[in-house]
Amino acid sequence: MRWNKPVLALAIIVFYCAMPISGATRGQQLTVYTAQTSYSLPVFDRGGKPYISITELLSPLGASLPQLKSKEWKLELNRAELRLTEDKDKAIIRGHQVDLSGKVLVEEGRVLVPLDASLALLSRLLNTTVDFHRPSRRIFVGNTLVRFHAEFMNQDQPSLVLNFSQPVKPETNHAQDRTTLVFRKEPLVGSAGEAHKQQFGDGAIQSLTYSEDNGTALLTITGNTVLEITRSEDGKTITLQAEKPVETATPESTPESTPTAEGQRHTPEFFVMIDPSHGGYDKGASLGGKVMEKDITLRLARELHKELEERGIASRLLRDGDIELGLERRAEITNEQHAGIYVALHAGPTGKGVRVYASLLADAQQPAAGRFQPWESAQSGALSRSQTAAQAVANELRKKGLTVASLGMPLRPLNNIVSPAIAVELAPDGENVESLENQKRQNTVAAAIASGIAQVRSQMGGRP
Amino acid sequence: MIPRHFQITVALVLLAILVSGVVIIRITHKEEALTQQGAELAPVAPVVGGKQEQIQVLIAYDDDQALRWRTAEVFLPTDRSLRARETLRSVLSQYVQTPSPHPLTKGADIKDVYFINQDTMVVDTTSQFADGHPSGILLEELTLISLIETLTANVPGINKVKFLVDGKERETLAGHADLMSFYQTTAVHEMAKEFE
Repeated sequence: MRWNKPVLALAIIVFYCAMPISGATRGQQLTVYTAQTSYSLPVFDRGGKPYISITELLSPLGASLPQLKSKEWKLELNRAELRLTEDKDKAIIRGHQVDLSGKVLVEEGRVLVPLDASLALLSRLLNTTVDFHRPSRRIFVGNTLVRFHAEFMNQDQPSLVLNFSQPVKPETNHAQDRTTLVFRKEPLVGSAGEAHKQQFGDGAIQSLTYSEDNGTALLTITGNTVLEITRSEDGKTITLQAEKPVETATPESTPESTPTAEGQRHTPEFFVMIDPSHGGYDKGASLGGKVMEKDITLRLARELHKELEERGIASRLLRDGDIELGLERRAEITNEQHAGIYVALHAGPTGKGVRVYASLLADAQQPAAGRFQPWESAQSGALSRSQTAAQAVANELRKKGLTVASLGMPLRPLNNIVSPAIAVELAPDGENVESLENQKRQNTVAAAIASGIAQVRSQMGGRP
Repeated sequence: MIPRHFQITVALVLLAILVSGVVIIRITHKEEALTQQGAELAPVAPVVGGKQEQIQVLIAYDDDQALRWRTAEVFLPTDRSLRARETLRSVLSQYVQTPSPHPLTKGADIKDVYFINQDTMVVDTTSQFADGHPSGILLEELTLISLIETLTANVPGINKVKFLVDGKERETLAGHADLMSFYQTTAVHEMAKEFE
């Protein structure tokens, strides 16, 4: 009958509202940040595995309530249909299978999915970049991030000024030797992973630690006195100041210059940021059989890291596991950590040999004169150095007897990177796509890239 | 008392009605599904009139990693936007056929094109164009270069081109080629030379 559906929907809503959070692991929660809203939902323990309610995950984003039809639970979000079946570990979204990393559970009409599935589900349904900070259970949909910059001033009354990219309103907890700012609603992120610490000395303000836990971000400031907190600029600035001068603060303990909370003091040396492209749900190109681009790039990245270390050049991997990382996030991390050069690794099924790319700015602009660079053309100031690096790497690859093409292409995220940036794409050796997996060939390519970078290391300039 | 044979007949008739009802419902659902599928694969833009013209199209050949100019017969209207759309569709029609020198999924098509001003154009593609596009730097770039070069060869005065997918911005075509920026046609022309 006509009134059946509304009554059923109402009953389900009432049921959800009235239902106690049975079996929820005490206080454990997942927080989802989007451009429009931020919300937290409880995480349940089911057989030692964290689970979440699909309704609580998707309803705030505008999803319909799950309806049971022919043994399948169906709901719609963003004009895409999600189909879940009890006891199955696969979902169907837009006609494609999505691995849920565990079985779907149905408890009294409530559909539960593994917490680990939330990344794949949101990425597929929303068709946008989704970042999942798994240990701290924080999900960032789209480019929804709040960043911060810390400035320590060691004056008579030491102070720490925290500048945020968006207005924030954290909870404040005071203890004897520490002040903690708790960010529950703001998608605050640090630059060096999910935890990092900045030391300021042994005075009134001694350290600033960024950490994430249980769906929240925390800034913890330690010191030997009580700190006064003031908010200004509509919440975009928070100043912490010692109530009175502290005698124990000595000039020796002061950093050489103004430090930031973004870990700049810890990364003074030139290093290569190696980006094994793709990862997680983003498998990259399919290279025949079960071989995926994301696996080849990670193996090649680890090999390149080894080769660079052997040549005395420091390097970091943007991912060292099968995790999903958005293109913008890759550029942000590289820029924030002030890499000396960025090298993206790819593997493709077409052509042969190796292709080396520098950026081709689609909308060429002059480098901005000021401190800030337009995101879409951040590479413009380093383009000539990128071309130099690409040429050096191409030459080294040719010396190893490989077929090499050196090209300019508008690739993401090269255009968004401030430092010299290149991409290297490994293609099959002739017709044989399986040659992409050849360890010896990968070693040869990695060694050539490392040699090329070593040659131009001195021309790459200082840290941006 | 109703005779037993009459009871059996009535029961059989009712059963037959029930079975045929179920069969009809299933057939109807199947037809609806086929209609929907057909609608998705059908051209999204209406067929336009115009004069049949021979135009030059730049076609990608995956096996050779090359772009080659070919001649195509296309109905081209006089309106500049429609002309641009039909030119782009003539390239994609080469890719969705079987066999194809650069295979793309069926349904890969141009929904519409918009001139922001005289020299800047936005191309709205179908979701199948990006969702079903093979992933790989070279494969993705060859598609974009062939489209932009064909466009500029047949619709003069375009300096910048940007691609949308189903009316929305997308970061990349299939994980590699940038779709967020405007492509400078002069820069694309230089890129094309590498493959011709």
